[in-house]
Amino acid sequence: MLKNKILEDYLKASLTEEEINLINGIDINDLGFDYDLFGMNKEWLIVAYGIVKLLYQRYFRVESNDVQNVPVKGRVILASNHSGAIPIDGSMILMDVLTNLKPPRLIRAIVDNFAYAMPYVGMFFSRVGQVVGHRKNFEVLLENDEGILVFPGGTRDIGRLFKDRYKPEKFNVGFIELSLIHKAPIVPVAVVGAEEQLPTIKRWEALGKLAGSPFFPVTPQFMFGGPLTNFLPFPSKYHIYYGEPLEYYKFFSEDTVENPEMVTTLAADVRSKVVELIERGLKERKGVFY
Amino acid sequence: MPYSKKRNVLITGVTSTLGRQLARLLYYDKRVGYILGVSKDDRPFYFDDFSHSRFQYMQVDLTKPRQLNNLFYSNIFKDYNINSVIHMAFLNKPTDVGEKSHELNVVGTKMLIDKCLETKQIKKFIFKSSYVVYKVKAHNPVLLDEETELNFDKDAPQWLRDRVDAELICRTKMDNPDMGITVLRFSNIIGRNIHSRMNAYFNSKIAYTIAGFDPNVNLIHPRDALYAIQLVLHKDVKGVYNISGRDTAPLHVFLELNRVKRKAVLEPLIKTIYDFKKKIGSTEFDFESGRDNLKFPVLMDNQKAEKTFGYYPKHHVEFG
Repeated sequence: MLKNKILEDYLKASLTEEEINLINGIDINDLGFDYDLFGMNKEWLIVAYGIVKLLYQRYFRVESNDVQNVPVKGRVILASNHSGAIPIDGSMILMDVLTNLKPPRLIRAIVDNFAYAMPYVGMFFSRVGQVVGHRKNFEVLLENDEGILVFPGGTRDIGRLFKDRYKPEKFNVGFIELSLIHKAPIVPVAVVGAEEQLPTIKRWEALGKLAGSPFFPVTPQFMFGGPLTNFLPFPSKYHIYYGEPLEYYKFFSEDTVENPEMVTTLAADVRSKVVELIERGLKERKGVFY
Repeated sequence: MPYSKKRNVLITGVTSTLGRQLARLLYYDKRVGYILGVSKDDRPFYFDDFSHSRFQYMQVDLTKPRQLNNLFYSNIFKDYNINSVIHMAFLNKPTDVGEKSHELNVVGTKMLIDKCLETKQIKKFIFKSSYVVYKVKAHNPVLLDEETELNFDKDAPQWLRDRVDAELICRTKMDNPDMGITVLRFSNIIGRNIHSRMNAYFNSKIAYTIAGFDPNVNLIHPRDALYAIQLVLHKDVKGVYNISGRDTAPLHVFLELNRVKRKAVLEPLIKTIYDFKKKIGSTEFDFESGRDNLKFPVLMDNQKAEKTFGYYPKHHVEFG
């Protein structure tokens, strides 16, 4: 699968039998060739698990709080703040739910559209179960009773400057509409620690366009080796918090999606829950790196 | 429309592999009264075992107005009350470019559909389209429904633009109350002797893939494609429908199943390789018109066809 067989073997060997069984136990809705509709494959998941595990356990030393708030089955939308210049926070949330929720479940994250145009990047995301941020994709997944992770603050949120850290952008409303239409609970999620991994001091848009992304986040690491070291994250400690599931669909009908004011209010409500969790996390953590 | 009556069918492009198989399928379909097969080729030997009471062959070049008139004013056409048309006459190889291809694929379609409307005898017109009409984008949804944006890119290869134009000609006539027009967009039809872009790709000894891309593709068995046409022929449906096959997997899986060696090449180099291969005649695959399909998935949502006329793919594609 990987071109580098030694690396592949190493990654597989780094996993315990229990971890391999955990991934093999995930139901991937196989279309008959070991791949699902989105291109996800268990072999790739095992390799990705090997990589992310190192980051999750050793580098960012993720601390999980209240993961039991994520329903173990059925459709669900996880809505999180997005930070840290590169989307490591997404993979940490997925890993956290996969390893700490009993029984484990694989959440599908929504990836920024531009990533899929990049060679290898888009393919890798597909193989490990991530999907293009398109409404139809969410609908297919939710109707299939899967869980999805969204970042309603979007690219603006991950591109926030360090001086604005822990102030999530205004949430887009798409996930509220999906929740109401497909009757999926929303679990607010807060990630504390990602803001400090790559503090963005400037958004360089011209350079970003060259690389096919909306901007190039310039971090302090840029000083050491330019673009080569720009994305080497500091080992800040991650704390992930999960709020109580929000079941707006029990109180608001599907027709509410026709009411932009109400939908915006609900999106703001989810954002406020995320902010509460962030504040709790900031209060509880003892330091950025421990 | 009197749907209780038997269907008397005109099949254009009947000498193509799919056309020939369709003629055979309908020949044994008791709900079909009479079949008139047309193509610009001489009458092929394989229709010799068909009884004249059920099947007739006419040599017609759809791009020639006089020949088209002769067809529509012929005794067979009137006596057997031809009331349905299945239009499958296309130059399907992406290497078929130039005026000849445009004449048949676009002008031929327009003349045929105009003639059908003029006679008022045709109650059903089925147009075989394909997934290539969709605009391929990195951020397309995993399943494309019939409302997805089409490829109107003016820089697209002529063959692709012609396919879109031909379909649009049909769609502009869809409001006509006298004739129900159905456009069926098939995914990659894979089978022996079928001329299609992906068939050409899978028939290579070495398939060059674009490094860093391995999209999911959907393949349809010819029998499922013909079954969809047969369903539409007998049911009161019109409009545009996606018709996908049973098999969906990343491109490399199907190449391996077909025992095709694959080599990943950087995107700027792959065009040069395929241009060279085409020049020396070692491939029929046209990279320029298939570039995006080697990068991004184009999977079509079958739901509308499932709900409207009960189409479900049944057969796995056969390789090797």
